[in-house]
Amino acid sequence: MKHYFSLFTLFIPLLAQAHYIPSQDEPITVKASLSATWRSDNIVDENEYWQIPGTNMGGDAWPVEEGLQIDEMKLGLGARIDENTYAIVEIGTHASDSDDHSSVSLEHAYVGYVCCEEFGPLVLEVGKMSAAFSPSLSAHASDSLTSESSLAADVFFGRYFHDEGARVMWHTDSITAGAEVWKGDAFPATASAGYAWDAFARYQWKGSNLSFVSGAWLYRSSAETRADHRYGGGHQHTPVAVPGETASIFPDTRFTGDTDLYGIHADFAYTSDSESWKAGMKAEYMGMQMDGTLHDAIGRTAYLDSEQTGSWAQPYITIKDHTFGVRAEWLTSDNLITGAAADQLGTDSGMANPTGFEPSRYTAVWLWQWKENIALRTEVVDDQSLLEDKLRFGVGIIWKQTLWPFNSKSHH
Amino acid sequence: MQSKMLAPLFLMLVFLSGCMSESQTIIDDEGARESSFDWGLPDSIPLPQEPDDNPMTEEKFQLGRHLFYDARLSTNGTVSCSSCHHQDKAFSDGVDRATGATGDVHPRNSQTLVNVAWYQTLTWGNPSLGTIEQQITLPLFGDDPIEHGLNESNSEQIIQAIQADPVYSELFISAFPDQDDPLLGDLVWDNTIKSLASFVRGLVSFDSPYDQGELTDSAKRGEALFNGERLECFHCHAGYNFSDATIDRETTFAELDFHNTGLYNIDGLGAYPSPNTGRHEVTGKAEHMGQFRAQSLRNIELSAPYNHDGSVATLEDVVSNYARGGRLIASGENSGDGRVSPVKDGFIVSFEITDDEVSDVVEFLKSLTDTTFINNPRFSDPWTEDD
Repeated sequence: MKHYFSLFTLFIPLLAQAHYIPSQDEPITVKASLSATWRSDNIVDENEYWQIPGTNMGGDAWPVEEGLQIDEMKLGLGARIDENTYAIVEIGTHASDSDDHSSVSLEHAYVGYVCCEEFGPLVLEVGKMSAAFSPSLSAHASDSLTSESSLAADVFFGRYFHDEGARVMWHTDSITAGAEVWKGDAFPATASAGYAWDAFARYQWKGSNLSFVSGAWLYRSSAETRADHRYGGGHQHTPVAVPGETASIFPDTRFTGDTDLYGIHADFAYTSDSESWKAGMKAEYMGMQMDGTLHDAIGRTAYLDSEQTGSWAQPYITIKDHTFGVRAEWLTSDNLITGAAADQLGTDSGMANPTGFEPSRYTAVWLWQWKENIALRTEVVDDQSLLEDKLRFGVGIIWKQTLWPFNSKSHH
Repeated sequence: MQSKMLAPLFLMLVFLSGCMSESQTIIDDEGARESSFDWGLPDSIPLPQEPDDNPMTEEKFQLGRHLFYDARLSTNGTVSCSSCHHQDKAFSDGVDRATGATGDVHPRNSQTLVNVAWYQTLTWGNPSLGTIEQQITLPLFGDDPIEHGLNESNSEQIIQAIQADPVYSELFISAFPDQDDPLLGDLVWDNTIKSLASFVRGLVSFDSPYDQGELTDSAKRGEALFNGERLECFHCHAGYNFSDATIDRETTFAELDFHNTGLYNIDGLGAYPSPNTGRHEVTGKAEHMGQFRAQSLRNIELSAPYNHDGSVATLEDVVSNYARGGRLIASGENSGDGRVSPVKDGFIVSFEITDDEVSDVVEFLKSLTDTTFINNPRFSDPWTEDD
């Protein structure tokens, strides 16, 4: 059984920093994290909607706001039930708009079963959980170098991926492979259109100084009358603006059809012999195909055929307690919208991109592991995700701690 | 070994840079913004649907304009379409119910003819009337009530009058160039209806202060109330034509929406006075009692009195009825409390509103008055020009 834990020690941090399996040595673990950031500017003004040109956004991809904002808070309980079985429960809250969207929600509630050492081992998990196919997708603000999630995750998955489903994973020393099936509640799917599923595989290698992980994944989903639930999807009214300002009603355009995604990712690191410094690079490339219909409440429809890509690369260097890094991100979209309502629905849905605009964003980060469980983060973001280029600064704090057992340590 | 590990990373970077295709969005509206007719619309308004068998042309519009203002299209030469549809009143008539050529009083209030081309159905409460061409036969040939009073016995005489008019000879030939003799026999009526429909379809009004973004402070407050949670006006008076019965070329499918606004409740079960029972007249279904189509609010200031039977005098009264959640008629044969009607629409709920707020809402409604439309010489009586 000990062999399981040595394997997990290797692959779990690489698989997804938010994902872990309680060990038999510490059968009960309670972990908490918080990330808060003060920013010098918004992405969009208060009465505007964040819609990156050429894309159809949704989920929880809320724009960051000027001033202090809680990026996320999490509190998780892990329990090792017996030699093979464990359970995870986690509640959390994420940054969102200023109204009532930041309530605490149950993000993880699943039971896992690990077995069959002779084959791998195999891990089976069932319940509500984050997806494992893309490491970046389950890495939240307290896990990742930057406080803002990637543009690709925001556009293609609505930032986070929490859904009810089942996962099976198989591991060897160097290979991890798995598949997940989802109820379909997580963007870009809708449950009414049936199950979503994904499959993934990755190769990991670790030498004396170098370590390397690379992987690929495929995700397929369908949606039925999918709304952008950030602003629409229900009873629509013109937002109330302060006197002297105007606010327009959100065009509640829906998408019905298939969304297929694929991705590759890599994580390369070199650690010095003295372990006083470490340098590396993380990168991910995602491709998406949407095929379906755009439609709205007054009977307008148009056919959509879209191919989009999103990618990011993040070189970094860590010297003792300080990490310096840069993240560069790019999006492209190639959309064909056909039908009498193509013009209007293209505009309303966000898929219109008349100038061929290609969003990008560049983030420079300095993260200082100030104390054992507390890190300070400074960021400069050159945000070119919208037609208007914006430069903003951010100063934040990350608290991440294992509350139980008391003597455990947590690092960013 | 370590150099081998760098290879996948290098490939990843190559992939990142090489797979980024150029962005574009191609919009193919399949001709939705094309028409042989100059609609004169702002870019924000989609073109209306045109019947395949009666596409819009300027020539048919002009012929229809002459016919619209011609009282010869009635049994006794006293009534034209313009008798009940005055341009200065946005083509309504200012009375509660109009009188036909032979003295019949119509049970319904004359509607405005504003952006009719965008209506899903025509008339107040008939869900089966889907084209203007269909609707026009009712005032011309209908006998309950008689409006123009045309029938088999007098139609030949009217045809002869049209055929004998040299103005019409030229207009018909111009409007229907593919026909050898567009004034021949019954073809006259088919062409007349198509031309009248073309004129009515071309009555376009999108140039109000609201369209120009020139709202007064009071109107802005009224707009917020109109679109607010409390009053809920915008649900039925939705979109650019302020009616949920709006369709255009971008519409693929649309639900038929008719609404009981709690105007009557003469039997405690929501009954409206017969024969004015709206959609119920056509379907016979109890749940359709008192259901009428939501009218466009464009130029509503000019079309008093209001509601389907012209029984509400002012816009302030209309708002007050909605605020009450239905009209109360304390005495008389139509007495009853519309607020407790079991068949009224779910959006007709009572709400608190001050006199100032009523004024603001009315001011907003008045901002939908298009003075360009009511003074546009394209829509005026051509016979006075021809003279």
